[in-house]
Amino acid sequence: MPIYLYLNRATALHRLHPAVKILALFAVFWSIYWLDNPAALAPLGLMLVILAQVSGSWSNFYRLRWLLILIVFFTTLVWVLFYRQGPPLFRVGPLPISRASLEFGFGRGLKLAELIATTILFLSTTRVEEFAYGLAWLGMPHRIGFAITLAFRLAPLFIDSALDVVAAQRLRGHDFGRGGPIARMRGYAPVMVPVFMGALRKANNMAMALEARGFGHTNRPTSLAEYRLRPADWVGLAALGALATGSFLAYWLGYGAIKLTH
Amino acid sequence: MWHDTRMVVLCAISAALYAAVLIPFKVVPLIPGVTELRPANAIPIVCSFLFGPAAAWGSAIGNLVGDFFGGAGPGDFFGFFANLAYGFLPYKVWEAIGGRHSPLDRSAAAISKYIFTCFIASLLCADVVGWGDNLLGLRPFAVLGNLIVFNNMLASVVLAPFLLAAIYPRARAGRLLYGDLMPQEPPLRRSVRLYGLFLLVGGGLLAWAAGNLISAGYWLPAFLPGTMLHAPYSGVVAVVVSPPLALAVLGACLL
Repeated sequence: MPIYLYLNRATALHRLHPAVKILALFAVFWSIYWLDNPAALAPLGLMLVILAQVSGSWSNFYRLRWLLILIVFFTTLVWVLFYRQGPPLFRVGPLPISRASLEFGFGRGLKLAELIATTILFLSTTRVEEFAYGLAWLGMPHRIGFAITLAFRLAPLFIDSALDVVAAQRLRGHDFGRGGPIARMRGYAPVMVPVFMGALRKANNMAMALEARGFGHTNRPTSLAEYRLRPADWVGLAALGALATGSFLAYWLGYGAIKLTH
Repeated sequence: MWHDTRMVVLCAISAALYAAVLIPFKVVPLIPGVTELRPANAIPIVCSFLFGPAAAWGSAIGNLVGDFFGGAGPGDFFGFFANLAYGFLPYKVWEAIGGRHSPLDRSAAAISKYIFTCFIASLLCADVVGWGDNLLGLRPFAVLGNLIVFNNMLASVVLAPFLLAAIYPRARAGRLLYGDLMPQEPPLRRSVRLYGLFLLVGGGLLAWAAGNLISAGYWLPAFLPGTMLHAPYSGVVAVVVSPPLALAVLGACLL
């Protein structure tokens, strides 16, 4: 079961410094945050589409297409219920639906989908090791960074182990899809216990192996992979700065907001 | 905690277990694309009783790992801290009110305390995510705030007791409980911890009630300027929900 989103490509986005990629994630989040109007969000969406093309990440976007579509649809629905502004266009039972509520809801849906698309792009172009390196470069303590990296590495092993247990339980006749939500949730206990026990058995050995290799000897360990800031990284940082400033200016000048007509 | 290698490993294992069950086992979508019934929510509760602070960090990191496999957003920044609370509170609240009971006891008093402990952890988790998402204007508090309490309580009450019954005795026999691994600091005075619990429960419930009423538009405080009183009520949530939430967090720190 493929769970990592990373795609090994030799593109300019892949080659960026890990810390620049993390800063890019925050800069794009910041830029999307200030905009509510779907028309103002559209250029950012277009930018993400172009970056997906440039970085060869389409397969991941295709894999998660239903997530993105459902997020737009259900977020629009939720905000149509909660955002009751502007003159009603029509009514659904007692609920007035206005152009503003539809626009606001769709804007929020688009905003969430763009935020998620940004992380898909980030994960498609960044290895776990690069992510940990970037966090350490930005000042995260080594031990916390190590725990995050180890968790990323262990999760697929535990997933494989859980899927093996699911297959074994199915062979014994266990039906995970039977019954209501409570019965189905309880049905997962026979999967989790063996996975949990396997993990506990690993804990002691893993701690001893780590200490035998000098883990904890220093809080600033060296890294096998070294990354340097190159001219392309500085160009990227400048572009991100311009994007973040432009988005805030759009908000400040009122272009990013939804205009209510009473 | 971070100085002990075994606690670092247990933190990573808690995180990986949480993520490993979170990613492939999404049982029933509650709101498609927003949240689903998550059997994985039993893991932080079980790990908290076993590994204490390692499980708290493990829960936060595990949620991050899970989100990263399916795409994350800025709301996940709050999800990190919400899950930290969800993994931190069960063992801390249990230390304050559990007395001589073990989480495996089946007496009425022990079961009531267990349910109360899980409810408080679920409530603060929901408050933090609901508050954060509404503050950013992404989703109304009333949607996530209630779904998370329901979701977490279901996993805590339906699934976690079975896991605890199977795993806790083995972890105790293997001397892997946090009490066996870490030197225990002397706890704060009982009166201080009970005061902390009072703040936690009172602040958590107030934040939850205010968040629900405000985000649904049923209560808009008259003392706030009219320019703030419009959906998505981010400003109102910031002014009204933040103080009780801060009290709840202060209470959690006093436990």
